[in-house]
Amino acid sequence: MIDPWIGGALALFFILCACGVVLTAATRGVYPLRALLVFSSACSVLMMFASAAALASGHSFAIDLWSLEGWGRFSIRLDMLSAIFLFAAGLVYLPASLFVRNLVEVRFRGRYPMRRYGVLHFALMASVVLILVANDAPLFLISWECMSVLCYFLVNYEQSARTDIRAGYIMLVMSEAGFLAALVAFLILGRGTPDWSFSSLAGMAQHLSGSAVWGVFLLGFLGFGVKAGLVPVNFWLPRSYTAAPAVFVPVFAGVTLNLGFYGILRLDAQLMSNHSVGTGLFALVTGSITALVGILYATTENDLKKMLAHSSIENAGIIVAAVGASLVFHASGHAVAAAIALTAALYHMVNHSVYKTLLFQGVGEVEAATGTREMDRLGGLARLLPGLSVVFLVGCLSISAIPPFNGFVSEWLTLQCLLRSAVLLSSAVKVLFALCGACLALTAALAVTCFVKVYAMSFLGIRRGDWRHGPGQAGRTQFPLAYLAVACLLLGILPTYVIPVLNRAVEPLAGASAAASLVPPFFSATPENQQLPPAFVDDFHNLGAQTGRHVLPGRGLVVLVRGSEKNPVVFAMSTSYSFVALAIFLLVTWFVATRGSRQRSVTRHELWAGGIPRLLPEMTYTATGFSNPVRVVFQAIFRPNIVEDSRETVAVHFRTAILRRRDETHFVDRLLFHPVGEAVGWLARLLAGMHHGRLNAYVAYTLAFLLIILVLFRLS
Amino acid sequence: MTAMGSSQLTPLQRIELEAVAAAVQAQFGSGISVERGSRGVALAIRLNEANVLAALSKALFWDIGCSFGGLIVEELSDRWRLSYLFLASGSGWIEVVLEVPAAVQAVPSISAEVHAADWFERETEDLFGLRFEGHPRLGDFILHDQIWPEGVAPHRKPQRRSVNVHQMHFRRRPNPDWRPLLVVQDPGSFAMPVGPVYEGGIGESLHFMLETVGEDVLRAVPRLFYKFRAVEKIAEGQQVSDVLLLAERFAATSSFAHSLAFSLAVERICALEVPKRAANLRVLLAELERLRHHAGAITGICESTALAVAASQAAIIEERLLRASCEFAGHRYLFGLNTPGGLRRDFVSRDFENLTGAVDRAVEDLHVLEDRLHFTSSFLDRLEDVGVVDPSKARDLNLVGPVGRASGRGHDLRRECPYGGYDGYTFETPREAEGDGYARLRVLFQEGYASAGLIHQAVERMEPGPVAAPCDSFVAGAALGWAEAPIGSALHWIRLDGSGVVERYRAITASFNNWLGFHAAVEDFAFQDFPIILATFGLSATECDR
Amino acid sequence: MSFWFWHGLKKGVRSTHYPREFESAAGVSPGRPVATEFDSAAEAVVAAANCPADAIVARGSAAEVKLERCIYCQHCHYGNSHLLEWHSDYEWTMAVPGRGKYQPLPTAYHRSLHVIVVDAGDCGACLHEVKQLNNPLYNMHRLGIFLTATPRAADVLLVVGPVSENMRVPLLKTYEAMPAPKRILAVGACAINGGVFGRTFMSAGGVASVLPVDLLVPGDPPPPLAILHGLLAVTGRKSPVLQAASSEGNS
Repeated sequence: MIDPWIGGALALFFILCACGVVLTAATRGVYPLRALLVFSSACSVLMMFASAAALASGHSFAIDLWSLEGWGRFSIRLDMLSAIFLFAAGLVYLPASLFVRNLVEVRFRGRYPMRRYGVLHFALMASVVLILVANDAPLFLISWECMSVLCYFLVNYEQSARTDIRAGYIMLVMSEAGFLAALVAFLILGRGTPDWSFSSLAGMAQHLSGSAVWGVFLLGFLGFGVKAGLVPVNFWLPRSYTAAPAVFVPVFAGVTLNLGFYGILRLDAQLMSNHSVGTGLFALVTGSITALVGILYATTENDLKKMLAHSSIENAGIIVAAVGASLVFHASGHAVAAAIALTAALYHMVNHSVYKTLLFQGVGEVEAATGTREMDRLGGLARLLPGLSVVFLVGCLSISAIPPFNGFVSEWLTLQCLLRSAVLLSSAVKVLFALCGACLALTAALAVTCFVKVYAMSFLGIRRGDWRHGPGQAGRTQFPLAYLAVACLLLGILPTYVIPVLNRAVEPLAGASAAASLVPPFFSATPENQQLPPAFVDDFHNLGAQTGRHVLPGRGLVVLVRGSEKNPVVFAMSTSYSFVALAIFLLVTWFVATRGSRQRSVTRHELWAGGIPRLLPEMTYTATGFSNPVRVVFQAIFRPNIVEDSRETVAVHFRTAILRRRDETHFVDRLLFHPVGEAVGWLARLLAGMHHGRLNAYVAYTLAFLLIILVLFRLS
Repeated sequence: MTAMGSSQLTPLQRIELEAVAAAVQAQFGSGISVERGSRGVALAIRLNEANVLAALSKALFWDIGCSFGGLIVEELSDRWRLSYLFLASGSGWIEVVLEVPAAVQAVPSISAEVHAADWFERETEDLFGLRFEGHPRLGDFILHDQIWPEGVAPHRKPQRRSVNVHQMHFRRRPNPDWRPLLVVQDPGSFAMPVGPVYEGGIGESLHFMLETVGEDVLRAVPRLFYKFRAVEKIAEGQQVSDVLLLAERFAATSSFAHSLAFSLAVERICALEVPKRAANLRVLLAELERLRHHAGAITGICESTALAVAASQAAIIEERLLRASCEFAGHRYLFGLNTPGGLRRDFVSRDFENLTGAVDRAVEDLHVLEDRLHFTSSFLDRLEDVGVVDPSKARDLNLVGPVGRASGRGHDLRRECPYGGYDGYTFETPREAEGDGYARLRVLFQEGYASAGLIHQAVERMEPGPVAAPCDSFVAGAALGWAEAPIGSALHWIRLDGSGVVERYRAITASFNNWLGFHAAVEDFAFQDFPIILATFGLSATECDR
Repeated sequence: MSFWFWHGLKKGVRSTHYPREFESAAGVSPGRPVATEFDSAAEAVVAAANCPADAIVARGSAAEVKLERCIYCQHCHYGNSHLLEWHSDYEWTMAVPGRGKYQPLPTAYHRSLHVIVVDAGDCGACLHEVKQLNNPLYNMHRLGIFLTATPRAADVLLVVGPVSENMRVPLLKTYEAMPAPKRILAVGACAINGGVFGRTFMSAGGVASVLPVDLLVPGDPPPPLAILHGLLAVTGRKSPVLQAASSEGNS
């Protein structure tokens, strides 16, 4: 049986975490760093092992830890959904752990307060795993709270500037608010439940009234959405990502963000399977708006870290939009479509973890090498850090959804799902789907703009700033990044091997299998094959797919979505074949270019710049200039506030200076955060007016309060 | 449209010299001495003390309403002679003369009062090393700082008088640390460098820094003088006949106007009476050049808006006029015709017939073209409200020529300060108030038609006789000659010694004036409008750079 | 606007047939002075003395013309005694003496020649005449000759002007940025030897003192067809007609 292996791995994981805490706290010198490296890597391998074992066997591992009278019992259970998230966490924890070591050595020359960091690191790791394997509400919520507080400590770890501390506070406040919302959601859900295990909660969910379903859904969605970075509860995210230390940000973006999706899926998709179309549409629309707002701010942001934070919001939006689409399909009885949408969401979640970790590590390394994250001051890094520039390019291509990398597969699937709205009956829902599809398509296009800007402004062109540091020990940091880059490529070209795995988690949630329709074994399909619907096989026969049977190997290396009954179009996309074709094309081109023609001589000349003596950095496009068209087109959202616009002048022809500075307040800050802050401040001032220190007034307050209580009791 | 525009125009006023003399004498009293001018100058105001210069310039330019003509600096054996020219509309040139000892290194700047004097002072500082107290930005103008070290003053007289311009040598020291002075300080702003080799190479060598934060250009700063060939210095020590070749060839697209202004100056020194026939022929040739130039400028405007058919039609008109010039005068750019005293050759009546035939045809084609352009909304959209210089800015920066007239200026030397044979000719000087690209295009068309009319009048008024007064002997002295070149006023100032050798030659060109005014038109505009603004200004770099 | 299209079509083909046929329209070229036989050697000396640019040399009783020095002052054309004969042609591209026989660009360039024009202090006339080659009457595109904005794509560097000091670096940079094989065409008297500007502290006195010039197109300015002839000579579709006097070209 597989159970002892999984159980053993999890037990070993927690033991190693404990060892890690003790060793990093107890040792000195280089040892805390080494302990962190060894134990953290081992822990992440164990996470991957346990989850891979569960996924491979298709068997959920469950065990009761202990039970307390009146409190129910604590139990853990590694089901397929947990396993996917656990695997993703392990996948990025491994390079992130290695990266911590490298970054500390390169940037801080080993002088980093590792001991306290190690304790927090292992504690966070343990709490993340506990959240993912918890099988009852109390354990889940306690672990969640631990995770929130630990994140707060880690974000403020390098607390030096005032703003950083403030960013941490805002994050903590938002996390607590989200936690409370989730807590209330669980309390409503579990009213009158015998115990608080997830299975009995799921049973209780069947009896909820319509309004209670909405209440639980919204509380859970927004509560967990805080962690996932959904509009409008995401204003903490760019601030704290920017404030968080470079060693922690990859984990922050690659692991803890996913917990938000996990919470949403666990509560809103698994526990409550009886939701309406409306809740799904709410998620879809929120996700689409989140994606668009996220990418707009990412495109115009010039701080690399902040830009990636906004981009995380965008990706969270895409994932939640896909989840929303899945809920809508599920509620309207299209189980296969729901399964496909959910597959897309999970796929994108995994992809996002991988490339976002890669990009954050890249930014960390850029900052270590140059001392700045400001794109207007970077430029020409490709010459300084050639290795990094290649892997960073892979990250940029992946996140911009360019084949053959992984972002393409999941975004393509997400958009295809939205196009499948034809199966839905209500035309209003169809219109909403179309609008959200357009929104996501625009997001995808802007994402390309955004990352063209990021790569071109930071890595290409000529060096703009006067950087503090020289290049660090760039060679050593390459492994974790290369590992992630390879993961990006593999996830991109082998979706047909990934989707069946994801399908194991999707099937119980959506009630149907997506694999048969996404990865059909149609090349080997015979009319007798029962796995495929006959109509489906017919479609492919008509398309001549069978003719490829002897030529194309493998089990359905094609990701495809079938059209509707009336319109039997097959949307097919084989990233693996296109990768092979692309590789062959590039090789042939390279061969022709280098060998094919005779007497080629390559001469290198200075850049042509119209004959001026030298192209100076101030004569090249800045990041601000590159993204200005976006800023102008979406002015209604950005609403830039011109802080300064003055012209120092001698005569009309003779300007000595044109000064212009803009200040942009984030859309959500402007509409929500600042008004709420002002309202709270106003209320506080009002209440403060009561505290004037006169004793008789306080006695009067008490009296009045007693009277009100008495009247209320009387009335009830 | 012309009628609409002219309703907003301020009427032109004649400035009487007596009134000017009385006004400045009342204000400055003993600080100045006013006398009648000679040899092209109507009124000379000598400064007895340097510190009234700025106030006097302000009074002449702003209170009395004169235009600024330019600054002529001369290094005499024991002193600097600075002559500031102002134009009293309708009455002639007023010269403000400041003489300071040779040892003086700095004189007061007037550019804070008269903005149009800014570049003249920068030019003088670069070439003569004479500083202007109070000027906000001197240096890096004609002698680019990336090549030339500070302290080089190539127009100073060499220590040894025997050294000629071909033997002069200056130390060059390329400065790799040179950076352009950028004015936009928006975070994220950058400067797009354009030139000096650009635009398929057919553009003249110019260099612009387009300062932007993406999308719109906040400011464009032209960097000129890539073509500076020190024409004024080369002329020194040469015979009049050789300098005439230079004057004709430093700006070929208006070569006849320049050689005319030069010849007029020499004629004033030597008191030559130009025969009537020669005067009429000069009007004819100058107007032919103007018509051809304007056809070329219209071609450029059509090209800049990518209106290919119109550009081709205009180019055909221009080429036909070039051919007609060649057929008529033997040279496509009218070289080798002017000489002090008149013209170097005569023409017969068949020549005139051919020429007027070609001119009529060109005018007819221009009318067709103009009508069609007026109905091409995509074309007009790109010209209207583009590169606007409103009349107050045009006055401030002293715009001249068609560009100035499109911004409401009445500055036309043929009318305000008649020269050569223009007395008695009747013609319209078009004026527009909008000051945008379209106004400049309309002015070009109207002036082209007016030139054709003048050509006809010249042919009608042609009377038999000699075409040149003999110019055998020279007298020592200095004089001002001027002409309304196609781009605007051209002033040539010459000092001769008794043997006909040029001691100082100064050419003040319209392009030099208008490139300064160009700054006013290139602020806050869309990037794609830049070539259009450039084409509607139609400025010549070679005429500015000299 | 659609009417422009019809307007353009209605005008028909206006382009010259040069080089297939000799273009003989009036005014396409100012012509050129040619060697003239006088009655006596003394008269030839007088004729030579008329020339301010030393372009006329008396040899025996003949006055010979160094066209590459001619600045078209017209002093030997009218208004003087002892005038020279003038020919009204325009095919006068010259090879540079002392550089051996001109090696034309390979035949691959015959129908695709990209030209970058650098204004190195030109008075505007030569540049203007180059620009005329783009107008419908000459239309050099029909011969596969194109102007390009970047030296990276250029095969021929066409220089006008005497190379002013401030343009020296841009000119050198342009030449360096061009891929091989490349040719340099010096157009106009100024580009050949500095013309009226000569060699001063601000003028290099011709392109040859800065870069290895391949062909010369004399004239001040040379008419469009003379420049076209020069461009055709670059690829060998026409051959350089005149030979410059051996003392010139590398000064």
